Amino acid sequence: MRTLIQALSLLLFSIFFVFATYKLPNWLPADIYLRLDPLLGMNAVFAARVIISRALWSLALIGTTLVIGRFFCAYVCPMGASIDFLDFLFFWKKKRPGLKSDANLRKVKFFLLIIFISAAVVGLSLAFVMDPISLLTRFYTFFVYPLAITLINLFLDLLRPLSQALGWIILSHLHYFQSVYYMTAITLLIFGGIVFLNRLVPRFWCRYLCPLGAFLSLISPLGLFKRRVHEDCNECLKCQKACPMGAVAENPMETRLRECIQCRTCAKVCPQNAITFPMSLSYSLGGEYSSINFSRRGFLYSLAGGLAVGFLGTQTPFTLRQSKHQLIRPPGAIPETEFLRTCIRCGECMKSCLTNTLQPCLWESGFSGLWTPRMDPRLAPCDQNCNVCGKVCPTQAIRSLSLEEKTHAKVGTAVLRKEMCLVWAQNKICLICDEICPYNAIVFRPVEGYRRPVVVASKCNGCGYCEQRCPVKGESAIVVGPNGEIRLKEGSFVEQAKKLQLDFKPDPGDDKFILEEEGFKVEDKKEERKNILPHEKLQPKKPKGFL
Amino acid sequence: MGECNRRITRRQFLKTAAAGVALGLAGRTPFLEAKEDYDLVAISGEPAAATRKTLEVMGGISRFVKKGQRVVLKPNMSFSRTPDFSATTHPLVVVTVAQACIEAGAQQVLILDHTLQRAEPCLERTGIRDACKSISGVYVLALQERKFFREVKVPQGKVLERVEVMKEILDSQVLINIPVAKSHSATGVSLGMKGLMGMIWDRESFHSQYNINQAIADLGTVIKPQLTILDATRALVSGGPGGPGEVKKPNLIIAGIDPVAVDSYGVSIVPWYGQNFKGRQVEHLLVAHQQGLGKIDIDQLKILKEKV
Repeated sequence: MRTLIQALSLLLFSIFFVFATYKLPNWLPADIYLRLDPLLGMNAVFAARVIISRALWSLALIGTTLVIGRFFCAYVCPMGASIDFLDFLFFWKKKRPGLKSDANLRKVKFFLLIIFISAAVVGLSLAFVMDPISLLTRFYTFFVYPLAITLINLFLDLLRPLSQALGWIILSHLHYFQSVYYMTAITLLIFGGIVFLNRLVPRFWCRYLCPLGAFLSLISPLGLFKRRVHEDCNECLKCQKACPMGAVAENPMETRLRECIQCRTCAKVCPQNAITFPMSLSYSLGGEYSSINFSRRGFLYSLAGGLAVGFLGTQTPFTLRQSKHQLIRPPGAIPETEFLRTCIRCGECMKSCLTNTLQPCLWESGFSGLWTPRMDPRLAPCDQNCNVCGKVCPTQAIRSLSLEEKTHAKVGTAVLRKEMCLVWAQNKICLICDEICPYNAIVFRPVEGYRRPVVVASKCNGCGYCEQRCPVKGESAIVVGPNGEIRLKEGSFVEQAKKLQLDFKPDPGDDKFILEEEGFKVEDKKEERKNILPHEKLQPKKPKGFL
Repeated sequence: MGECNRRITRRQFLKTAAAGVALGLAGRTPFLEAKEDYDLVAISGEPAAATRKTLEVMGGISRFVKKGQRVVLKPNMSFSRTPDFSATTHPLVVVTVAQACIEAGAQQVLILDHTLQRAEPCLERTGIRDACKSISGVYVLALQERKFFREVKVPQGKVLERVEVMKEILDSQVLINIPVAKSHSATGVSLGMKGLMGMIWDRESFHSQYNINQAIADLGTVIKPQLTILDATRALVSGGPGGPGEVKKPNLIIAGIDPVAVDSYGVSIVPWYGQNFKGRQVEHLLVAHQQGLGKIDIDQLKILKEKV
């Protein structure tokens, strides 16, 4: 029963994950698991010092935990389900060394919780490092999802001769877009490490490390359902051995209530059927086994540690230098300081990104920017018909915007590097940037008798099509820099753009302007240049391609 | 590339024509008699009606599509733009031709393009997939993977020696090019000939490596649509090929067997970038003409003009 619910929850998590993609319907909260996570919610709310409406969903989990207890870990948590499943796969019937005295280890998760919360209070978003939902979503995004696409495409390729022979047109042309990410290996290592820890004891992660589990266990002893052992108990200690959380105390009649996740494994293995989980209204914090043996020293150390990490993490010139870096944030990202504080690094935006332009940062924006999304326009552009990254952002570090608003959420401006541009440097006929630009922000103007591409900054919203398509090998001859980006915490991007006199609307006027441009002399230079410039005839008054 | 030499031979043409005439006499349809006399057909009207009329006056699609054949239609659906931008072929034009092919007994009709933007939004926004979804045997696909292309030699190529073309085009019996009329920042206009670039894998090299005008003409020696239907119901006369730009409404469907002639006429119907041009003034068309791919002087062509 429990396994079934667990599997269903993991399936649901996976389905929501798959749905986080282009054309996500507005009513579907694909990021629901992340919204429900109170640790991520607290982390973002404390760090950004603002109430985030999506984070309020986590009150639902807090409420049910208060009523029922720490059921989340056993039944709902997709990370717990993954760990249980992989544990069964890899370590089933393996003899585990076990840990003799784990009382101190148990405390680690509480210390971590304190560190994360206090770091958040100082303004550093850090919980993502170990929050199970964020961690698993990241693992899905950077590893499971690309792997799944690879396998599906491989399967389709194998099937192709057959589907061609049978005339299945759609199947024989089916190919899914392969997303690639910079930090797949690191993410896999971390997740693999977590699973491997199970080799020591089952659910090592959940017992000792998980900060979300720590938070839930703080409030769980108030719950209605508690383990009760009848007198039939013959103290065979089978329950103690079987408990995946180590929640059965030395005396098997007693329960470490904070550790119990109500999985009822103990009841199942009990030969005497002496264990039940009745509903009881008795308010008890469970006595000696359930108090958190928090030494004052440990508490203070972790508090100080968290504050120190928070301070150190935010002490970086990066934020101040943000606009001087080549770092393009997704459209609708709130101002950089708030963005770093609010982003929980789940990777949903990068998963959902239609073009795969969103990539995780490693050190590009310092320690405080680990795994934050940035655009990589040389890899792929931002599509003007897609606004999914904001839709799936559980903390709204990237605001959910309408297409119209998102179009005006300028992420930067393209800059032409004349010394690399085929047209400027070599007089070749190349107009790919102009051809692909969805906003007509690149126009050709006659310069020295040749039509040269020029970026109209007020029309460029930094989508990056030009940078991606530029045929120059290696670095692009036209690159998007963060100059002119619009980052708004609230309010309308459209209005802001209007204020700044930006215009990302269709306007054919500029092409006409070129044609009507007069008073341009090319005759004097024509003769001397004739020989060295074989690629284009000198006809500044005619549009390109016409004789 | 013998298999690709799909232009109707004179004998075939005469036979079909004779059959058409016979049919015409029997059925007393005045258009059928006339069809072989004309080089081009230009029909003015709404997209679907004008397309239907065009096919009708050309002697029906059955002139090109035989029972059981595999047909490829190549509209322009390269940009994720709605039809009003005129950067892509009107869905009603495409669906009308597709429907006619199916009615003529085509085994399957593939509507293909190597889109410039991501496939999904292109198929969706252009409206072509939606328009065709109810016709069985018609498939709208954007091919963006190299495995769907096959390299062929370009024996008559001046700059292009080999090129990777969509396998489905190489393997099908009929290819109908259905470009939209639009301006192009590199080649002046993008009509049928320029549309050939949507059937190959590597078009970046056309811009960076080759003289694009010559390369297009070279491509025309290996990819030879049996029929070109130019959707000039709207024309993007500036800001092309992707738009946004100025959209004019010539309300015309122009069709013909000669790809250069169709394009050349297409050049003449509207001013591009505010200026009037002739087909001869479009470099890639001139080069194609000089390479023997078709007629370019429209004054010497017989053109059937009608209104619906």
